Amino acid sequence: MSFSDDEEILEDFLIEAGEILELLSEQLVQLERCPDDAQLLNAIFRGFHTVKGGAGFLQLTALVECCHITENLFDILRTGRRSVTPELMDVVLQVLDAVYVMFAQVKDREELDAAHPDLLAAVGALVAGEDHTLQIKSRHAEEAPGSASHGAAQSSGDDVTDEEFEQMLAALDSSSAGVQALSESESAELSGAGSNEITDDEFEALLDTLHGSGKGLSHGMLHDSPPQNSPAQDSSPQKVEQLEAVVVSEANEEISDNEFEALLDALHGTGKHQGVPAAKTAKKPALALVKGSAAPLNKDSGKDSGRGPGKDSNKDSNKDTGKDAAAETTVRVDTRRLDEIMNMVGELVLVRNRLVRIGESSADEVLSKALANLDLVTADLQTAVMKTRMQPIRKVFGRFPRVVRDLARSLGKEVSLELIGEDTDLDKNLVEALADPLVHLVRNAVDHGIEIPAVRERNGKVRQGTILLAAEQEGDHILLTISDDGNGMDPNVLRNKAVEKGVMDREAADRLSDEECFNLIFAPGFSTKEQISDVSGRGVGMDVVKTKIAQLNGSIAIHSRLGQGSRIEIKVPLTLAIMPTLMVMVGQQAFALPLVSVNEIFHLDLKRTNVVDGQQVVTVRGKVLPLFHLKRWLIRGECGVPAQTSAHVVIVSVGTQRIGFVVDDLVGQEEVVIKPLGRMLHGTPGMAGATITGDGRIAIILDVPGLLKCYAG
Amino acid sequence: MGEPVRKSLQAAQEQVLQWVTFHLDNETYGVNVMAVKEVLRHTQIAPVPGAPDYVLGIINIRGTVISVINTRRRFGLQDQEPTDNTRIVIIEVGKHVVGIMVDSVAEVVYLRQSEIETSPSVGKDDGARFIQGVCNKNDELLILVEFEKLLSQDELEELSQS
Repeated sequence: MSFSDDEEILEDFLIEAGEILELLSEQLVQLERCPDDAQLLNAIFRGFHTVKGGAGFLQLTALVECCHITENLFDILRTGRRSVTPELMDVVLQVLDAVYVMFAQVKDREELDAAHPDLLAAVGALVAGEDHTLQIKSRHAEEAPGSASHGAAQSSGDDVTDEEFEQMLAALDSSSAGVQALSESESAELSGAGSNEITDDEFEALLDTLHGSGKGLSHGMLHDSPPQNSPAQDSSPQKVEQLEAVVVSEANEEISDNEFEALLDALHGTGKHQGVPAAKTAKKPALALVKGSAAPLNKDSGKDSGRGPGKDSNKDSNKDTGKDAAAETTVRVDTRRLDEIMNMVGELVLVRNRLVRIGESSADEVLSKALANLDLVTADLQTAVMKTRMQPIRKVFGRFPRVVRDLARSLGKEVSLELIGEDTDLDKNLVEALADPLVHLVRNAVDHGIEIPAVRERNGKVRQGTILLAAEQEGDHILLTISDDGNGMDPNVLRNKAVEKGVMDREAADRLSDEECFNLIFAPGFSTKEQISDVSGRGVGMDVVKTKIAQLNGSIAIHSRLGQGSRIEIKVPLTLAIMPTLMVMVGQQAFALPLVSVNEIFHLDLKRTNVVDGQQVVTVRGKVLPLFHLKRWLIRGECGVPAQTSAHVVIVSVGTQRIGFVVDDLVGQEEVVIKPLGRMLHGTPGMAGATITGDGRIAIILDVPGLLKCYAG
Repeated sequence: MGEPVRKSLQAAQEQVLQWVTFHLDNETYGVNVMAVKEVLRHTQIAPVPGAPDYVLGIINIRGTVISVINTRRRFGLQDQEPTDNTRIVIIEVGKHVVGIMVDSVAEVVYLRQSEIETSPSVGKDDGARFIQGVCNKNDELLILVEFEKLLSQDELEELSQS
């Protein structure tokens, strides 16, 4: 599929539709809870509508079809002729999934797969199950936007400008709004639209003229837009004056919102077509007139004139005006640019560190004062820039109502999900990286945690289980908790399982504390479920979760009480860009170990080590830990060096395991900015990145799990 | 076709390109000046454990980490201890910035497009793939290197390894 011509439009579509789709999934689940929320229904309807419009323009027929039929359904829903049922929601959610799939295909610039015909038929049946007159009406209502977007799609081969497209959308929307008003007024016939309404036919004519006039003259349409006017074939400039007159007279008679919007759109539209002198001249006086006459109009249309052209008017006027005003204060910035700024601030921090180090060695009071000041300002700047990258965790949380709902339904459980602290901000990269582990944990909570209603009642609990998903900032990190009031975990079952799986022997298992037992579930291949289902039971998930959280320099802890539920706590740093590390020297080179994985440091007499099964080990407070010489791993030609008599040992933890690294020297704790190693060295095992130390040298940041995997095998 | 048009066409063909020349062993190589960001004296290069052998390590240029390629090894030459003349040429290849270590950097020469000859087929020599053309100037053979190919080749190899 070739998108080269309208790559930019496609990008815009992807961003806009992506946001809408994200919102839709949330809204749909919310709708199930309060099926009578008219505003919500309208919002969903508009969502599908907007996606359809954009897709139509890009000739994504399969996507248009899917959205179109759903839009039909929601039109019926919002007119109150059909109520929301769980079955209906199942179908709608499936459609949304299909739309997601297609959207992903568009993103990857792939050919679209059409939605499954059965699915479309299911929606079609829901639409058709409607009372006859209304069906005709809604069909009719849909035809107008449908054909319009079709027209837009066809014309995209020609030179349709963005503005034109926006106008169409705007025109489209007001036309369906008109129909909505119609059905709301319960008027039986379409022709009863009355003098205050623009009928669909008129609108279609308007759209046609609008498009036709894109290349020709626009005032034909201008003339046509006010209702009850003779069809304008005549395109002489004088007609524009007539229109002005019409506008004035209309304004005095209090024209309706829709008419006003249409007029406004029409005026804007003509103004944008270059090379149509009449239209150009028409724009200024006519606009001035309309604006001037806005005062006597009703409140809503007054707002409309205050808003921008085309695009904005496809939103509900009374609901979104406030939102629009707020939107003007934000700027959409490419994340790459933010990364650059972040990088530069990181540089500044390094220079500051260097200066501070120099300052410490000098006794100049003025210098140290200036340095203290610089210290403060850089810290502030760093926080401020970091904040720009922050996103509310709502972005991740938003998908959970859907996840929980679907899963609970398929498992026959009753689960309610509570979200707390959705507004907690954290680094954008973190938000994205946390999504998968959290989904897994929430699924686990529904699948393993919450019991089926009958069991719950037998245990004296309410039928409906509750899962609590909370986020809060705690100092310099974010605390995420997933708790359920389900069955909890039985440490003894876990012990037995561990023995059974051969993870450890019976004695070792019995020595484990309860907390340690819970940690067993993070071990790869560990699953207590006898049956593998499509939901869980493979024993892969928790291992992945743990690894992922560790990659984010976070930690995870489990608390559980049998019969009362489990609670999983995840701690992640606020940002991934700056990392506290422990600097060590190996040979002549500096290496940085992420501080989160460092447990303790001590000085060791290397004679007091033992060799177990070919592996050097050291005993620390009764625990036997394997000992590795970083020098043998990391410095070329140092593999066979005889061990020194004493050395510094850094104990690091990898997952549930703890190991010791022998290093030559300890430098100290340092906050570093992680710099990627570049394309050539990217993916070098055990190396997480590089950083520049306070004295300007390069230190390599070690990725402890990767290091072990590569060298200790 | 009008006379002025033909003239400008000719001028376009005779476009003068500037090349930064450097030495490796006894040969002189040239790299397009537009690709060169800067030339640095030899500084301490931090080796990266586990990196491919033609990557010497990384250096810090005003806060940016840049990988340095062992050009000698890349061109199938013997390694040599860095001397006073050893330079690291920072070049921009596509979106990447890399450093190439060379024995010495000589000058910038101006070459007309017509002076550049396609390289004689040198077989499957390791270095041959990156040679864009040769130029005989003042009885000296200048080998024009295209680093874009050198790097994309590396990436291909890396991909096939993983």
